Amino acid sequence: MEQKKAGLIRRLQQKMENKEMSCRELTLEYLKAIEQENSKVNAYVLATPETALETADKVDEKLAKGEKLLPLEGVPMTLKDNISTDGIETTCCSKILKGYTPIYDASVWAAMKKNNAVLLGKTNMDEFAMGSSSENSCFGGSKNPHHTGHVAGGSSGGGAAAVSANLAAYALGSDTGGSIRQPASFCGVVGLKPTYGAVSRYGLIAYASSLDQIGPITTTVEDAAAVFDAIAIPDPMDSTCRGKTQNTSGSLNGKIEGLRIGVAKEYFDGIKQPEVSAALENAIRTYEKAGVEIVSFSLPVLKYALPVYYILACAEATSNLGRYDGIRYGYRTENYNNINEMICKTRSEGFGAEVKRRILLGNYVLSSGYYDAYYKKAQNLRGTIVKAFHSAFEQCDVILAPTVPTTAFPEGFTGQDQVETYLTDICTVPVNIAGLPGISIPCGTDQKGLPIGLQLIGNTFQEQTLLNAAYAFEQSGDYVPRVNMGVSAL
Amino acid sequence: MAAVTKEEILKIANLSKLWVREEELESLTHDMGEIIAFANTINSVSDSAEEFDNINNLSNVFRPDEVIPSYPREKILQNVNGGEDGYFPVKKRS
Repeated sequence: MEQKKAGLIRRLQQKMENKEMSCRELTLEYLKAIEQENSKVNAYVLATPETALETADKVDEKLAKGEKLLPLEGVPMTLKDNISTDGIETTCCSKILKGYTPIYDASVWAAMKKNNAVLLGKTNMDEFAMGSSSENSCFGGSKNPHHTGHVAGGSSGGGAAAVSANLAAYALGSDTGGSIRQPASFCGVVGLKPTYGAVSRYGLIAYASSLDQIGPITTTVEDAAAVFDAIAIPDPMDSTCRGKTQNTSGSLNGKIEGLRIGVAKEYFDGIKQPEVSAALENAIRTYEKAGVEIVSFSLPVLKYALPVYYILACAEATSNLGRYDGIRYGYRTENYNNINEMICKTRSEGFGAEVKRRILLGNYVLSSGYYDAYYKKAQNLRGTIVKAFHSAFEQCDVILAPTVPTTAFPEGFTGQDQVETYLTDICTVPVNIAGLPGISIPCGTDQKGLPIGLQLIGNTFQEQTLLNAAYAFEQSGDYVPRVNMGVSAL
Repeated sequence: MAAVTKEEILKIANLSKLWVREEELESLTHDMGEIIAFANTINSVSDSAEEFDNINNLSNVFRPDEVIPSYPREKILQNVNGGEDGYFPVKKRS
């Protein structure tokens, strides 16, 4: 297959190796673009020019000696603000963590730092990754680069907006119920949520530990594979992390003849826009033409995935967020009479409304009298959902679905009705519940020019098959035009 | 619909170490009622689900139990302006 969309990471590295530009020049281009255009999209909450240029100079020294670049080396990128960075403020976009500076690096960042990844800054997100629009951020929401009256999505909205607006070559986000794939879909970029246990969560500020996973947001599938390979490594600090089972980036060839792609009708029932249906149908036809066998089946358990997700995620969040007491780091209330008052006032003043609602729901479903009816029941239904996916993967290799039933919401939508907002996560949460890898890739636009995402879901630790299927579709056409912002000339 | 009362919300808030202001109690009770009703839809499934506690049959990935250096106390106390006498300070109250 002739490659139509080459990876940006590889192209930038080639430019540096061929001496077309130095790493400092490249980094300065991005930093200048961030300074001039970040206010249009509110993607970054913190820029780190000194760190970026210090790394860039190290890379230029290596290049001057004629050394080859390591994977990701010298390429300007960004981290979601819930990924710990030693010496660099990390707030989870919450008032309660404003001013908090981690004293260690998240394992993913430590691995990338070793390869001289150039950190441009930290990106916006919904507070503690709880939300679908990034509007729950204490820094205000991220705007969609394709149409700034719409949101960038969430919770990794800042990372997706940064990549879409060409303010970073790629971003790392985290995905607990769709937080990488949904904003990638809204912003017309690629977002990969790896298999649970493929990437270390050490240093990722926890939301729901059995669902959280770090992954890349990129402009191409090739880039997603390159970043995945660099971060999917075993980590002694995370006992659930075993790393990748195969290298993915060298193996993308778009050969998918004979691949079986499953289509479960329940994923399509909730689609709210005809353009989304049409783009998905077009994707199915494209795969059929490429020699893929389309297998139709039903996954009735999907209708319980959303309540199961919200019960389990909030139960885990309530426990994970118990640590914010104002004693050891972050915000502490001014006036108090005793320790209990200090903790209660700190938390009440420091957390935003959605975080408080989820803590309350979490404690409700875990409290005596409700535990069996909610938490235990949801946990057991999780098993039923996992089993349903296992049987589905006996019939097919990859499942095709929409990423979101709509294109990007208008600003302010998610603040109106919580349950209505939760329902928009219908297509993304099943992947987290079952611990599967999932990817969103652009597959079209609506009448307003807002991108539509195609979601592909793989079996556990089958990122190679998943990425190759995504690559084949990506190479079949140009589905979302590049935004004319940032360093779009590169 | 699973009815949730203001008293229940206050009890849960207390367990969560959160204060609910009088003026937000009404709307919070309403929102939580809707969210809990939504969560309650799982109870329409018959009780055939089996016990479950592990996704993907993951097992722990162990590391050798070796003693490694910890973080220096000064570094840990950086986030509370260096602390006091090597401790996290909390104001003394009578």
